[in-house]
Amino acid sequence: MLKSMLKIGKMRWQEYNIYPSNFYLFTLNRIVEVVVYIFVWQAIYNQTGNAGGLSIEQMVTYYILVTALRPIILWGCNEEMAHSIRNGQIHKELLNPISYFQYYFGMEIGEFAFATVVGLATFVCCAIFWKVMIPASIVHFLLFIFIILLSVPITFSLQMIVGTVGFYSNSIWGMQILRKAIISIFSGIIAPITLFPQWFQTLSNFLPFKELIYTPINIYLGQISLNEIGIIIIKQMIWGILLYMLAKLFFNHAVKKVTINGG
Amino acid sequence: MIRNIRIYFSFLGASLKKMLEYRVDCLVGMVSQIAFQLIELIFIWIIFQNTDNIGGWNFTQLLLLYGVMMLSVAVTDLLFDATYDIGNRFIRKGKFDTILLRPVNPLISVLGESQTSTALGYIILSFILIVFTLMKLNITITLFLIIKILYFGILGGIIIGGFQTIFSISGFWTYKSNEVVWSVFQLHKLAEYPIEIYNKFIRVLITMILPFACVSYFPTLNYLGSSKGKIAYIAPVVAIIVWFIAIKVWNFALNKYRSTGN
Repeated sequence: MLKSMLKIGKMRWQEYNIYPSNFYLFTLNRIVEVVVYIFVWQAIYNQTGNAGGLSIEQMVTYYILVTALRPIILWGCNEEMAHSIRNGQIHKELLNPISYFQYYFGMEIGEFAFATVVGLATFVCCAIFWKVMIPASIVHFLLFIFIILLSVPITFSLQMIVGTVGFYSNSIWGMQILRKAIISIFSGIIAPITLFPQWFQTLSNFLPFKELIYTPINIYLGQISLNEIGIIIIKQMIWGILLYMLAKLFFNHAVKKVTINGG
Repeated sequence: MIRNIRIYFSFLGASLKKMLEYRVDCLVGMVSQIAFQLIELIFIWIIFQNTDNIGGWNFTQLLLLYGVMMLSVAVTDLLFDATYDIGNRFIRKGKFDTILLRPVNPLISVLGESQTSTALGYIILSFILIVFTLMKLNITITLFLIIKILYFGILGGIIIGGFQTIFSISGFWTYKSNEVVWSVFQLHKLAEYPIEIYNKFIRVLITMILPFACVSYFPTLNYLGSSKGKIAYIAPVVAIIVWFIAIKVWNFALNKYRSTGN
């Protein structure tokens, strides 16, 4: 089962690499996205010298890491899923010897691998232009990687939920944007969560999104003490399981509808 | 020329109607687009929690600059959205061959396929934002000013559309990726902030090479009554130059076109 999932992941990976130019363009794009934020913050630091308790080097590193992590968190295959629902290809995918969720998780592995390579390339390119800080320690770095891996079930479940909306609506384009907007606002993609008002910080403590971007980067920067991390890991696991169950329930409910209508 | 423009608008009308067919999708799209705009606004708001000005611009002035850019971007979305995804929508699927058979300029056919009805909501929203911020800055709203806002807004949209058309030809070679156009389009974000905050390289880039500054920065200075704002009046010249290059480049790509054959 795992073997076939990896195989599907590899197919997805190869699909991306049919046009090698894709890789360079994706990377270039990420850099274009980050430039404006860095310049704006540099202008602010020139006037105030401090924002939210982070130094300018930390802030620049924060945004470069955001740009590197963003593809990992936001990219996914829910567009393909909605497409397969719409044009009836789903009936073939449901007959696969592996389950529908496993099939798409395989795709997600390929997507994840490609996003990671783009993220790494973006990070290296940005390190040439700006001064990037190295991780606080080896332990912090390993925990940084671990928390990112823990976010995979969460992002995957969200993808499946949005993809399942394809059963009810003609296009999930709007839902896609909504998913991206919610993640962007609550995960700290816009700015470090500490810069937001208090009520927002409290709210984001309960939601799973903060742990996708803000927490790993702060671990990388050494801003979070190691004994807090245990709670974060437990919270992530609970959210991962909850969202996965939700996605599964929603899908199982929706798929009945499609069998009745005959595809 | 006049005939082409007329055909273009009738195509555009047809595609917009196609989009409006799916009312729920359209509504969800509109709401989420606004949510996406919120991201930018939240960022601007957060900036001003930490400082009272950026590059000498205060919160209201920056909102105005943002609104001016948003208006032009919305016009681009409405009129030239199809350039964004030529490779995927037309060339890879072989739809481009049908377009070549029409007795109409292929560029007009492609542009006419634009279907972002959500842009209409944007145009109204950004226009309200501009007028509101101008009023807050104690600038009297005259009829002349309103005409100027609309004039520069539409002209800005045409300029950005020109850039998109130039870079959309990448679709002829990559078939799939719209990433080149997206990169260029993303550069408009640089011009959402005053050019004072950038280094020399980026200043030259957004004033001379890809003059996004003519879309937002100079018109905004113009509305604010600054002397530097007179530079905004070269916008029509910029638009003509950009579209001259765009048509030349597009025709070049057209000659090189090889069908994918499916």
